[in-house]
Amino acid sequence: MKNETTARPVQKLTKKDLRSANIRWIFTSSLSWNYETMMAPGYVGSQMPILRRLYGNDPEKMKRMMALQAEFFNTSPHMGSIIQGIDIALEEQQGTAAEDAIRGVKTGLMGPFAAVGDTLLGTVQSTIFGAIASYMALKGNPTGSILWMGALAALYIWGFTWMPFAYKRGVELVTTMSSRLAALTDAATLLGVTVIGALIPTVININVPFVFKVGKVTMKLQTTLNQIMPSLVPILLVAFVYWLLDRKHMNSTRATWFVLILAIVLYNLKIVG
Amino acid sequence: MNQLSMAQIILLSLFAFFQINEIITLGIGFGNPVNAGLIAGLIVGDMKLGLAVGATLQLMILGVGTFGGASIPDYATGAIIGTAIAHISGKGINYGIGVGIPVGLLMVQLDILARFANTYFAHRINRAIGKNDDKAVVRNSLYGAIPWGISRALPVFLVLIFGESFVKNVLNYLPQWLMGGLKAAGTMLPAVGIAILMHYLPIKKFAAYIIFGFIGAAYLKIPMLGVALAGVGFAILYYQKLMNSNGEQPHIKGDGLDTEKAKELGIGEEITGDEE
Repeated sequence: MKNETTARPVQKLTKKDLRSANIRWIFTSSLSWNYETMMAPGYVGSQMPILRRLYGNDPEKMKRMMALQAEFFNTSPHMGSIIQGIDIALEEQQGTAAEDAIRGVKTGLMGPFAAVGDTLLGTVQSTIFGAIASYMALKGNPTGSILWMGALAALYIWGFTWMPFAYKRGVELVTTMSSRLAALTDAATLLGVTVIGALIPTVININVPFVFKVGKVTMKLQTTLNQIMPSLVPILLVAFVYWLLDRKHMNSTRATWFVLILAIVLYNLKIVG
Repeated sequence: MNQLSMAQIILLSLFAFFQINEIITLGIGFGNPVNAGLIAGLIVGDMKLGLAVGATLQLMILGVGTFGGASIPDYATGAIIGTAIAHISGKGINYGIGVGIPVGLLMVQLDILARFANTYFAHRINRAIGKNDDKAVVRNSLYGAIPWGISRALPVFLVLIFGESFVKNVLNYLPQWLMGGLKAAGTMLPAVGIAILMHYLPIKKFAAYIIFGFIGAAYLKIPMLGVALAGVGFAILYYQKLMNSNGEQPHIKGDGLDTEKAKELGIGEEITGDEE
């Protein structure tokens, strides 16, 4: 973490250019997301302050670099800030000569960064906070929701420093970050899995009003089940859907419809209610 | 039976427009179903209703994002419409959930449409680059917000403008077997979300922790936040172990999402989504 390149050979960009590019990316990255070039519109739009500064007085170069930045691009939005920072550092130093390097950095990093971003900033974050928020919300309490949005606001305010950081460190950042990010992703995933374990007994409250009648003896099924294990029905249902999703021709939408219909049938058989 | 004022309908539609554009950019999470439900609840004047509808829908899609541009059920719009309709009908939370689920599933088609529409702006950007018109490039990189927003705001607006009398009529005829069934579905459907999420995560590798989490909540009755804190403890230990084990360095992908698996499950086929 000590080999920062503070003395840059060339310094063409102003602080304002960098700030503007940073803010543009964070607020517009996926606005024109489309099936053809995905995030490319957001990327080229966000890089415009940089492109104007570097090639503003050379229409040919400007055209070429705009076309480069409008090529297919897709990653996890906030992780894109890091790629943007590295790209800008390269471009400032080498200009159009960096064309291949820029293309390499963008296409080379967008996949791995998407994987890390989708895991940490997508799944794990929303599993943990979403579980807490939903758990509280079901009790009519908005605190969990507010906590969730507050935590993300704090995280993404910090996120405004990622692009400048990547710009300062340049390409070498990737090697130093790689193992840390992987370990962090793994550890956070572990946390997400722990929360899922707690989620099953707390948010799935299936009521089983079914009553056995054998001669004079009546037995409530729910009571029997609870004696075996708390939340046995939710566990079995989750296990069943987990298994179901692995079947051929099954996808999440079909599984949702299936359980919806199953619930209506079981309700009318007076098994659940 | 409650009425929504025109101002409330417009506010709900504007919020629908805003939330989708927020979640694909800054992403603080106004477009997460539970938060969308909260805000829709505040707008219609019944926060608890919105929270409960949003939370149930949230659980069905917990941890699932639009990875790689995949379309997923739009339960945020589902929560907005579900909350509003439940409020209008006065039939309560489960009715809202029953409305929200099909709305969320059907919204997938409009999500795909919006993403398609934006291809037009991508082409305009290429043309603008040809003419070296950098201002047009920037403009077209922003216009996509309109298809995104309209794809959410328009259904909300139309359903709420024309929906009220329709809802009244439907309610008169809606049989108990269906209403009760939807109520039961509300309790069972979070299992689908959790099962999907379990396919996403390396559940076998961390099997021990799902058991720890379960014991904490089911037997020890620790609240969710407490279990999460215990999880943070485990995670720190695990992180330290990984960073101290020299030599064997995990590569950048980590061991997170199984996105291939997710694709298989159809958590967003892109264009060819085979949603019914």
